[in-house]
Amino acid sequence: MTANFSYLKAESLDEAVRHLGENGARLHAGGTDLLGCLRDDVFRSAKVVSISGLDRLRGIREIGRSQRGGGLGIGALVTIAEVAEDRRIREGYTALAQAASVVASPQLRNQGTLGGNLCQKPRCWYYRGDFACLRKGGDDCFAVAGQNQYHCIFGGDACVYVHPSDCAPALVALGATVGIKSRRDDRSLPLSEFYILPEDDPTRETTLRPDEIVTEIMLPKPSANTRSSYRKVRVRGAWDFALVGVALNLTFAGSGSDSGGGGKIERARVVLSGVAPVPWQAREAEQILEGKRLDTATASAAARAATAGADVLAHNGYKVPLLQGLVEEELLKLAG
Amino acid sequence: MSDEQGLYYQQGVPLPETPAPGDPPQPWGKTNVVGQKQRRVDAYERVSGTAVYPSDIVLPRMLYGAVLRCPYPHARIAKIDTSAAEKLPGVHAVITGQTAAADLDWRYRDGRQTKIFDPHCRFEGEAVAAVAAESPYQARSAIQAIAVTYEQLPFVSDERDAVVDGAPAVHDPGNLAGEPEKYERGDVADGFAAADVVLENSYRTEAELHTPLERHGCVASWDGRDLTIWESTQGAHVVQLQVAGYLGLPTSRVRVIGNYVGGGFGSKLGPGKYTLIAALLAAHTARPVKLFLSREETLLCCGNRPANNMTIKAGVKRDGTLTALELTGSGSGGAYSGRGVGLLDWLVKDLYNCPNVRTELVNIYLHAGPARPMRGPGHPQGAWALEQMIDELAEAIGIDPVQLRLKNIPTVSQARDGNPPYTVTGLKECLTDGANEFGWTEARTRSAAARTDTGHLKRGAGMAAGTWVAGAGGPPSTIVVKLMRDGSVSLNMGAADLGTGTKTVMAMVVAEELGVDPDQIQIENADTGTTHFTYPSGGSKTVPSDAPAVRDAAIKVKQQLLAMAAEDLAVDEADLRYLGQEIVSQRDADKRVAITDIGGLRRRFSVVGVGYRGPNIEGKAICPFAAQFCEVEVNTRTGEVKVLRFVGAHDSGRVMCRTTYDNQVYGGITMGIGLGMTEARILDRGQTGKLCNRSWGDYKIPTALDVPADITSLPIEIDDPQCNTTGAKGLGEPVTIPTAAAIANAVYDACGVRVTGTPITPVQLSRLLAEAAASGDRSPEQRQEG
Ligand SMILES: Cc1cc2nc3c(=O)[nH]c(=O)nc-3n(C[C@H](O)[C@H](O)[C@H](O)COP(=O)(O)OP(=O)(O)OC[C@H]3O[C@@H](n4cnc5c(N)ncnc54)[C@H](O)[C@@H]3O)c2cc1C
Ligand code: SF4
Repeated sequence: MTANFSYLKAESLDEAVRHLGENGARLHAGGTDLLGCLRDDVFRSAKVVSISGLDRLRGIREIGRSQRGGGLGIGALVTIAEVAEDRRIREGYTALAQAASVVASPQLRNQGTLGGNLCQKPRCWYYRGDFACLRKGGDDCFAVAGQNQYHCIFGGDACVYVHPSDCAPALVALGATVGIKSRRDDRSLPLSEFYILPEDDPTRETTLRPDEIVTEIMLPKPSANTRSSYRKVRVRGAWDFALVGVALNLTFAGSGSDSGGGGKIERARVVLSGVAPVPWQAREAEQILEGKRLDTATASAAARAATAGADVLAHNGYKVPLLQGLVEEELLKLAG
Repeated sequence: MSDEQGLYYQQGVPLPETPAPGDPPQPWGKTNVVGQKQRRVDAYERVSGTAVYPSDIVLPRMLYGAVLRCPYPHARIAKIDTSAAEKLPGVHAVITGQTAAADLDWRYRDGRQTKIFDPHCRFEGEAVAAVAAESPYQARSAIQAIAVTYEQLPFVSDERDAVVDGAPAVHDPGNLAGEPEKYERGDVADGFAAADVVLENSYRTEAELHTPLERHGCVASWDGRDLTIWESTQGAHVVQLQVAGYLGLPTSRVRVIGNYVGGGFGSKLGPGKYTLIAALLAAHTARPVKLFLSREETLLCCGNRPANNMTIKAGVKRDGTLTALELTGSGSGGAYSGRGVGLLDWLVKDLYNCPNVRTELVNIYLHAGPARPMRGPGHPQGAWALEQMIDELAEAIGIDPVQLRLKNIPTVSQARDGNPPYTVTGLKECLTDGANEFGWTEARTRSAAARTDTGHLKRGAGMAAGTWVAGAGGPPSTIVVKLMRDGSVSLNMGAADLGTGTKTVMAMVVAEELGVDPDQIQIENADTGTTHFTYPSGGSKTVPSDAPAVRDAAIKVKQQLLAMAAEDLAVDEADLRYLGQEIVSQRDADKRVAITDIGGLRRRFSVVGVGYRGPNIEGKAICPFAAQFCEVEVNTRTGEVKVLRFVGAHDSGRVMCRTTYDNQVYGGITMGIGLGMTEARILDRGQTGKLCNRSWGDYKIPTALDVPADITSLPIEIDDPQCNTTGAKGLGEPVTIPTAAAIANAVYDACGVRVTGTPITPVQLSRLLAEAAASGDRSPEQRQEG
């Protein structure tokens, strides 16, 4: 049950970061994740600082060529539904639109924000339940010897959760960077460097400090002949996290994958969800793809490479064949 | 004829004959209202939110209750300190097992006696203490402020671990709940010897949790010695009886009201501990108390469909004759395991003609929440095993699965003493008409032809059949139909309407007999203060139990009106016909009187018909039958399964209301998809024993996207005049019995992998497909015909 907290609706970013610097303060965007955590006593908050009134974090803007080659800037408060529906995103960054469209349910997509989606807390059922697990400051990870069918096959250590976001792997595949504001300064970093592996710190998911706010997610302009996609496999058709998922972003040489001289994959990004505590870049699969034509043999070899080094737990071994099947299928879809 | 009357009566609709007093009514022939599509009589109230469910009740001065629950699967309470909780703002009462008035006995469904607050907690979620406070938040805070010292005890949380040496015992002397339940007819050894093919396979269904939309709970309020409870329940009258029993009150002093209820699925057949706790808190504080549980609490302690393990050995001749069936099964209804294996073997014993049958069921105790009946207890699990085995036999002898079933249609109920014949066995028609409607032969031919395709999306068709042990209904049921001086009608019945449309069906029965518009009938139901005893709405018994009593009550109204009119018109009663708005002499059409002009009615202001449910016919079995067909698409790369379409062919006797009938079929199939494809309770086996999936996010019931839009409900309506005076049998449970098995059979047809455990998710199927591909011989792409 929710412990008492004070609530502040910030009127400016500066006010928000100032209050967030206080002990026990928590940032509130759409609240779809935060309020569940407070209600279930996953953690407590002395002060809930809402940024929902900060309209400057709401829009999607085109970044001119002059700035780092141009692209798209998505405000942290843009809702998941807006991301899924935006024409520029659907056309230029298909993987992100597809990822956003399979998040949760329509209600949650209308209320949840992109910033919140990237910063959401683990969905591990021990973490969400009344278990004092390592990530919550306890001594042990209950999943290692427990019910770990939805846990990780890569990157696990003392904690084996999987990052729940669908948008994050798509954004990593698309080369996104995040803009961050704090009391001291503004910084930005590639989203791929935003997340923390348990071996570095099993109690934090991101490099964000308590007084930092994600303000914007910047996407570089896609190069010509780029195709991207995201798909996840889940137990039910909606309102369900990924068992495994894959974001692809492939840049082809020349005029397409299937025509004469061109068609080779110049650059491949294969980023997995549902398999690791962070969006997981399948580098071996990427290496296999780069420089090749996207035919069935390549797809199948890359799919196998995507699970190289998997370290399965007692109940999640299925993720290996499932992931291989999914990566193969999605690669072949992009082959057209 | 008065103007108002026109509002209530349907125009120009022929009505059934009124039997002479004392004579039984004739079966309805062609009906005019019954069997039609009909919008629910309370549709507007339910959809607009004006319907007041028990969880909507707010009373002046009302307090909110909350229950502290044991966080461990097995523990003894060493000490409880409530002092901090008592001091919190808004808190009016804190009660524990030590509170004198709260020292009450409680019997779980297996009959075991414990205390309302028992110091020995045998499952996570067992009640430890309770509070009443001015707001739900204060109540929750107070719960958290109660300091309990638990002595944690060893536990066992999977029935497969519970009967091995050294397993912690839930009760003395061990975890076997009684002797194994055994059944035998003929000689299975002979049967297997006579078979051309004998197969054996093992199956498992995971435990499902009840998740009715309205959570469990009530509002309790005392007025002197009278206790009124607004309870979300399937059976107000049984709650009344049991609460009175527990509290030592005269039954008449307890009034239970549950006229709206947001679903139950078998988990609200009687009171819960919460009912008594609310009554105790209300007594303690002298204020009304509302106690509705959180979703987590309901998942922990308000019931489940037990997990079941089943092994079937079956023998069949080449011509398709079944020669022997043997089932061994086990399961656990939790710490108070009344029915861990209840009815698990019914289909094996009764669905098909088979001379030699042996079953043995082991009921096991576990440190987990007690089971409650769930929609067709035992049956969907039994169908999961039997109906897959029948398909395996069919493949082994090279015969179509529908044909194999048709070979073995019973005409008598073999599992019942004396082998009584069924009034009607609609199984054959369910199979043949259902197969036709579905296009079974074409679908199977298509999937067989596609087997050699290299594509990874494979379609398959599957089916399964079923029957339901109950569904005949029976006495008692007492119904009152009241006709007012202005011609308007009210119907008074004890039954709850769980959302199945009971009120609508019963209004249609009154309408059929009295000629009134079903929408215009006022309905008073499920209030023990004003209605009469009927068993809870469960077991698919409500329509066959209560509809005949409703018909009887309506007829009694007509009989009285006819007698009064005979006096007014000075003609013989037998010469008069009741036409709805008026009564007319058959011999002399000039002799007629409008209902509202009948002298007796005008003087008395109302005419009351009291109807009763008579006994069922002796020496016959009355059972519904079912066959369901489905087509699926399996992605053999990922193990994703899409259910493309379903046909449900159901023999449940007469269709009473086509709209609510079809809704039951859609809902039953939806729930069966849950069992077959998404749902499973996950306990932290071997570690903490606690429930892992304790929310609707983690406990996955199907969403609209998991259920095909293409579901056909095909009623198999065979006249069944012997079953009761309405000809209707139960429907609500048969509709979910074959579903999961039909999906499993379709998945096999699609990809050659027989999934013997629920649920069929990519978690399971991706692994099975990979194993099949690795073992090569039965890889999905190159499966041979059986
Ligand atoms: C039932 C359910 C199902 C779901 N299914 C999916 C799914 O399938 N796929 C998926 O990807 N997600 C899923 N989600 C997660 C959902 O997408 C997130 O809850 C939502 O995007 C969070 O956004 P919000 O604005 O509501 O965040 P909030 O709840 O307000 O915040 C979430 C967390 O992020 C922090 N935060 C929020 N915004 C910022 C910011 N700008 N800077 C720094 N920190 C910030 C908050 O402090 C908090 O800790 C599901 C959630 C629920 C409740
Ligand atoms: S996986 Fe991580 S979050 Fe889950 S129980 Fe282990 S430590 Fe806690």
